[in-house]
Amino acid sequence: MNTFRLQIVTPDGLIYDEAAERLVLRTMTGDLAILAGHINYCTGVGMGEARVVTADGTVRRGACIGGMLTMVENECRLVATTWEWQEEIDLERAKKSKEKAEKALAGGGLSDKEQKIMEARLHRALVRIGVKGE
Amino acid sequence: MAANMKAVKLRIKSVKSTMQITKAMELVAASKLRRAKERAERSKPYFDILHKALTEIANGNIDFSSPYAQKAKSDVWCYVVIAGDRGFAGGYNNNLFKRLESEAKDKAYCVLPIGKKAVEYCKRKGITLVTEAFSEAGGISVADCFEMARLLCREYKEGKYGHIAVCYTEFKSMMTQIPDLKRLLPLTELIDNTTQEEKKNYGQILYEPDSSQVFDVIVPEYLAGLIYGAMSESVASELAMRRMTMDAATKNAGEMIEELNLYYNRVRQAGITQEITEIVAGAEGN
Repeated sequence: MNTFRLQIVTPDGLIYDEAAERLVLRTMTGDLAILAGHINYCTGVGMGEARVVTADGTVRRGACIGGMLTMVENECRLVATTWEWQEEIDLERAKKSKEKAEKALAGGGLSDKEQKIMEARLHRALVRIGVKGE
Repeated sequence: MAANMKAVKLRIKSVKSTMQITKAMELVAASKLRRAKERAERSKPYFDILHKALTEIANGNIDFSSPYAQKAKSDVWCYVVIAGDRGFAGGYNNNLFKRLESEAKDKAYCVLPIGKKAVEYCKRKGITLVTEAFSEAGGISVADCFEMARLLCREYKEGKYGHIAVCYTEFKSMMTQIPDLKRLLPLTELIDNTTQEEKKNYGQILYEPDSSQVFDVIVPEYLAGLIYGAMSESVASELAMRRMTMDAATKNAGEMIEELNLYYNRVRQAGITQEITEIVAGAEGN
């Protein structure tokens, strides 16, 4: 299979900078797969599971949250707000964060901003649990 | 003579206690610096790749439906100025303000200050502030950067200002830190930064779902990322500068103590000699 250069970067550092065969992730409009030779492309990234198929064919899963994706001249840059590989996810923490967010949302009485923050927190926690829990 | 000696002794004591303080400040800055440097180094690739990706987009962009991609509608500039909370860091704050002044000369501008010194500076100069919510540079997190970015984007779209730039101190190495200014918006500003050679024609870029929606999502992200990166570098620069300045101050205090000690001993010696002469003269007189 043809490969392309994939760079994944977050404020916490460079996560991945190698050739990749395929990248599947959730964008703002839905799931998307990038293969080598993709047209020059740019979109916003949503929250969801992402899969990277490396040059040797192994599949690595990760939780990708927010950011942007560009594909220019067979070089793909994924600038994510956060990115965790499946093996790095702290399941306990995600579960706790999910419970907290659910409780806050169920309790009601939140301002619009708090509501949004809590919803986003719940969403992130669900993505992480989903990626971790096979 | 005795009174003079007492004054010198007091002076030595005071210089010594000052030296202790500068020494302590140096040690604190040095230990904090290590962590700050690591953070700056970790966020560096993010900073660079983000900037590169946006430059590519700006160069390839031919769709100007998004307000971020259009030419500036207003001549007002908004500078995000990242300074420190405290002084005692050599020229850290002043160099930055000088850089800002040279850049902002003859322009209408407002400032989003980060750090107490930046707030004080703007108030003294009577510059319009965007917000004072981020006056503590020490406690700024990634989430704060996103909040700033959203605020800037909202006001940018409302047309309060037509250009956004960030003024920060670049961390070159432990020894050199240079105040720098990066233009962020509108995206057309990024095109000017690349030289003709680098400028490749990327052809058309496909935006999904469409360019203005994509820009609405990625521009706040981009601003937040760059502000966060600039913030990390500035904090590291401040600590490096403080460490150097305090090191110099400690050395100076050491030299001063040496000189004062020498003077003190000389005066003491002179006193003893005089006393001996007096005693001898008195004995001869008998």
